[in-house]
Amino acid sequence: MSYDTSSNYFWRINGQKMQLFRYRKNSFLTPDVSGRVQADDNELVYPDEAITNGLRIEYNAFVKPFVSADPNTLATDTNETTWTNPTLTEVTAPEETSHVNLNRMLSLACVCFVQGQNAAKEGNIQLKEYYMREFYKKLADNESNKRKISISFASPVSSVR
Amino acid sequence: MTVLEVMERAGIRDTNLAIAWIKDAVHFIESTQAENLKVRKMSIVKNQRDYDLPADLISINSISVLDTEDDNKYKKIRRISGEHYVTEDTNP
Repeated sequence: MSYDTSSNYFWRINGQKMQLFRYRKNSFLTPDVSGRVQADDNELVYPDEAITNGLRIEYNAFVKPFVSADPNTLATDTNETTWTNPTLTEVTAPEETSHVNLNRMLSLACVCFVQGQNAAKEGNIQLKEYYMREFYKKLADNESNKRKISISFASPVSSVR
Repeated sequence: MTVLEVMERAGIRDTNLAIAWIKDAVHFIESTQAENLKVRKMSIVKNQRDYDLPADLISINSISVLDTEDDNKYKKIRRISGEHYVTEDTNP
């Protein structure tokens, strides 16, 4: 029976594997088999119990880079309560008519990336650097679009107006 | 945006090359932004330290372990920083 797992388990990456450890608190007051009292009462040990489906990994995956439908338009858009997202089917052999599975801002970033790679192919590294800067700028824009926060400050009572 | 639209905007004529670069761009984007999150679960085996990562993984968002004594909630666990002094336990 696993308990308090957020404090008792730790992970780290070692090459292509993930290593899982359990944090074990030992009683430093209890003498060991040799009659010595442990100086260090805590240790990391291998998981000491089996847990079915106990490990959950949430990760970014390389999924469906090309799809058959436009991912930025709704499939149904009748009113504000009746709408559905498009069903995105992966295109394994992409063609010119295939859609890139990104939103509009990331698609524009994608254009900058392709321009940058083309500039590098032509040997123009300075131009490549320019386009890559634009690429990262658009990635930052896309990320900040999800985090619109308004902050308001109350005026101190002693403020002179 | 279609592949053709990307090609026209970027001034590229080679479709295969454009598709390869678009794939690279998607990979770059996935490694810096949480666009396509996936979840995979696996069983924890007693006395086993090493676990396989999914082959399609680009970056890890979080790792959790099931707490069976708290209504089967998956609780996020922390990453160890620094070196652990036990490199292998032959009798775990």
